[in-house]
Amino acid sequence: MRKLSLALAAMMLLTVLFAAVPAMADKTVITYWSNDRHDETYMSAIVEKFNAEHDDIEINMVIMTDDFENSILLAIDGGNAPDIVGQSVTLKNMVDYEAVVDLAPYIAADEEYQKVNDPYNHKYEGLNSIGDAIYWVPSGQRSGVRIEYNKALLAASGFEGIPATLPEYIEMAKKITEDGKANDPITYGIGFTSSSPFERQLEMMAQVSGVFYYDYVNGKFDFSGYKPFLEAGRELVAVAYPDQQGVDNMRAMFAAGTFALWGNASQEAGVFTNQFPITDFEWGVAPVPSLDGEIKGALQVNPNKGYLMLSACKNKDAAWEVIKYFQSEEVLIGYMEGGFDLPITSYIDERIDKSKMGRMGDYSLLEYESVYPAVPSINLTGDNYRTVLWNAIMGYVDIDAAIEDLNTRYNAAYDEDISLGFVQRLVISDYDPLHPAAGTVTWLDK
Amino acid sequence: MASGLMLAPSIIFLAVCSIYPFIWIFRYVLYNYDGIPAHTRFTGMRNITNMFADATFWGSVGTTFEYALWKLLFIIPLALLMAVLLNQKLRGSGFFRGVFFMPTVISSSISGMIFTFIFATGNGILNGILQSVGIVNAPVGWLTDTSVVMASVIIMSVWAGFGNYMLYFVTGMTSISEDVYESSRIDGANAVQTFFKITLPMLSPVLKVVLMLAITGAFKDYEAIMVLTNGGPGTRTNVMFLYIYNLIFGTGSNATRQIGYGALLSLMAAVIVGAVTIIYNLVAKKLDDVV
Repeated sequence: MRKLSLALAAMMLLTVLFAAVPAMADKTVITYWSNDRHDETYMSAIVEKFNAEHDDIEINMVIMTDDFENSILLAIDGGNAPDIVGQSVTLKNMVDYEAVVDLAPYIAADEEYQKVNDPYNHKYEGLNSIGDAIYWVPSGQRSGVRIEYNKALLAASGFEGIPATLPEYIEMAKKITEDGKANDPITYGIGFTSSSPFERQLEMMAQVSGVFYYDYVNGKFDFSGYKPFLEAGRELVAVAYPDQQGVDNMRAMFAAGTFALWGNASQEAGVFTNQFPITDFEWGVAPVPSLDGEIKGALQVNPNKGYLMLSACKNKDAAWEVIKYFQSEEVLIGYMEGGFDLPITSYIDERIDKSKMGRMGDYSLLEYESVYPAVPSINLTGDNYRTVLWNAIMGYVDIDAAIEDLNTRYNAAYDEDISLGFVQRLVISDYDPLHPAAGTVTWLDK
Repeated sequence: MASGLMLAPSIIFLAVCSIYPFIWIFRYVLYNYDGIPAHTRFTGMRNITNMFADATFWGSVGTTFEYALWKLLFIIPLALLMAVLLNQKLRGSGFFRGVFFMPTVISSSISGMIFTFIFATGNGILNGILQSVGIVNAPVGWLTDTSVVMASVIIMSVWAGFGNYMLYFVTGMTSISEDVYESSRIDGANAVQTFFKITLPMLSPVLKVVLMLAITGAFKDYEAIMVLTNGGPGTRTNVMFLYIYNLIFGTGSNATRQIGYGALLSLMAAVIVGAVTIIYNLVAKKLDDVV
C-alpha cells in the first residue's frame, strides 16, 4: 500500500512537472539589460510581480554595470542580444549601427503611455530622438550637481550654509581645513574624487556662471571661459583632503566626517541614506555657487531611466508591453517615492507622496536647471577636456596652455570630422544660456 | 604529407590567431573606425599625421621607457639574488620559493587593487605604518604625488613579477653541475668569487632569455597600472599600452572609441618594442663575443 502511494505521488509530481514545462516554454522571454544597480531591489520586485501576473511574457532582468555600450554591441554581433536595454548609450552610435527600434509608432498608438510619460514634451534631439524618431522616453531625471555638506564641521568653523559665490566658498573650505588641523583625526574643508573630479563641482559652478565648453551660437568649442574656475580649483585643491580616490571611497570618507564639502547630483540621496548612511552628523544639500553670485547659465540635468528596444528583438510587441509596464503610473510612482530618481513629468510629480522620497526631496529641481542640447561627438586625439582641465588645476600643465590646447584640438577635430561627413556643425543662433533647450537647432555641413 | 599534417594545427592557429588579426589591424590604420560600420571612412594619412602630433602618445612612450628601465633595474638583480639565496638548500627555502612566486599567480587587476589599499594617502596601510613608527610626519602621496607615484608603480610591478624570473634562475642554477662548485671550493674560491666566476657565466644563457622576457614584458605592462593609477596623476604613469587600450575601448579620459587610430598606435608600439628587443639581442651577442 505504501509503495503504491509513493508510486502515485511520483506520477502526480511528474504530471505536474510535465504540465508546467510547456506552460513555461509558451512564455515569451524578454531580456532586459539594466546598468542601474541602485534600484535593483525595487526593479527585481516589480519584475517578479509582472512575471507572476502574466502567463504570456516573462521578463529576464540582467544588471550589467561595466562597459555597457560595448557589451550591447558585442552581444548584437554575437547573436545573443537582449530585447530591451537601459538608456545609458550613445544614441547616434546605436542608431547608426541600426541596433535600435523607433518607438514613435508604438507611442502614437498608446494614449495611456502618452498621458503618463508626456513623450512629446521630453523629446531631446540627439539624446533620445533623432528627427521624428523617438528611441527612448525618460521616466525620470538626475538633478544637476549640488553641494552636500557636513553641518557640524561648518558650524564648528562658524558657517551655517553654502555661500552664493565661488570666492566665499573657497574661503570657507580654507577656514574649515585650517580649523580641522586641531581635530583628531584631522578634518578637511573639501574632498575631490579621482573619477571625473572637474565635472562634479567646478564645471557645474562654471555652468551656472554662464560658461560652457561649446559655443552654440558660433558652432565651435571654446574653453576660454574656464580660466577663473581653474584658478579657483587650484586654491581648493591646496586645502582639500590630500588624496583623490574613487567615488565610493570618497563618499565613505565624507560619511565618516573626514571632510565637509562634497559635490554630486541626486544619486547621493540614496547613497548617504542606504549605501553609506550618515548617522553621526546632519548633512545638508545646497545649490553650487556661481562666480559672482549671479546665475547666468542653466545647470545641466540628465533625463534618465528610459528603455530602448533593440532591432534584434524577435518579439517586439511583447517588448513594448514590458516597456509600457516599466513606465506605467503604478511602477513610476513606486520608483519615485522610493527615492530612486526625480520625476520628469508633471503627471507623476503631482501624484507622488513627496514625504516618502526621503532625502531625494532635497534635490528638487531648481528653476534654472535644464537639459542641454547634445554636443556633437568628435574623433578627438589625446585627452578629453575634463582630464586636461583637471590636470591644469592640479598644476600638471599650465592653465593658459591647457585652454589653448583644448581650443585647438577640439576645433581641429570638429572641422575635420565635418569635412569628412562624420558630423554636422550644431548651431543655435538664438541660444540662451539660461534656457539652453529652447533655441532653434540648425545643422550645417561646414 | 605526414609532416604537413603534423604542422597543420599550429599553422591554422597561427594564421587565425596571429596573422589574420595583424592584417585586420593593418587595414584599419588608414580608416576612421569605431566599431560602427556606418562610421567607417577611409581617412588616408589622417591617423598618421595625428600620431606624430599626439603629445599624449609620445609622452606615454617616454613614460614606458622610464617605467621599463626602473623596473628592470630592480627586478632582475632582486630575482637573481633571491634565486642564489634560495638555491643554498637552506631549511624553508621551498616555502619561500612558493611565497615569492605567489604574486605571479595573482591577476594583475587584483595586484592593482591590493596596492591601492596599501598606497592610499589618508587611510593607506603603508602611510599608517610609516607614521606610527615615526619615519614620516605627514602622509606621503604615493598615488597622488607626481614625484613619488612612479616609485609606487615600480614597487608593485617588481613585487608582482620577480618571483617568476627567480624561478627561471633557480631552474638554470640546478642545471649547473655540482662538480664545478666542488672544484672551485678546492681551489679556494669564496662565495663572491664563486658567484661571479661560476654561477653567473654558466647562467648566462638563462639570463639572456630572462632579460629578453623582462624587457618585452616591462614594455607591455599596463593592466595593474590601469587599476592602481589609471595613468595618473595627470599623465605621470600613462604607459603607451594603457593609452592605446583607452583609445580602442573608448574608456578612460577619451570617451570615443578610436579603433583605427588605436590600431596605428598598436603597430607603432610593436615597432618600438621590436626595436628595443633587436637592440638588446645585438648587445647580448656583442657581449657573448667579448666574453
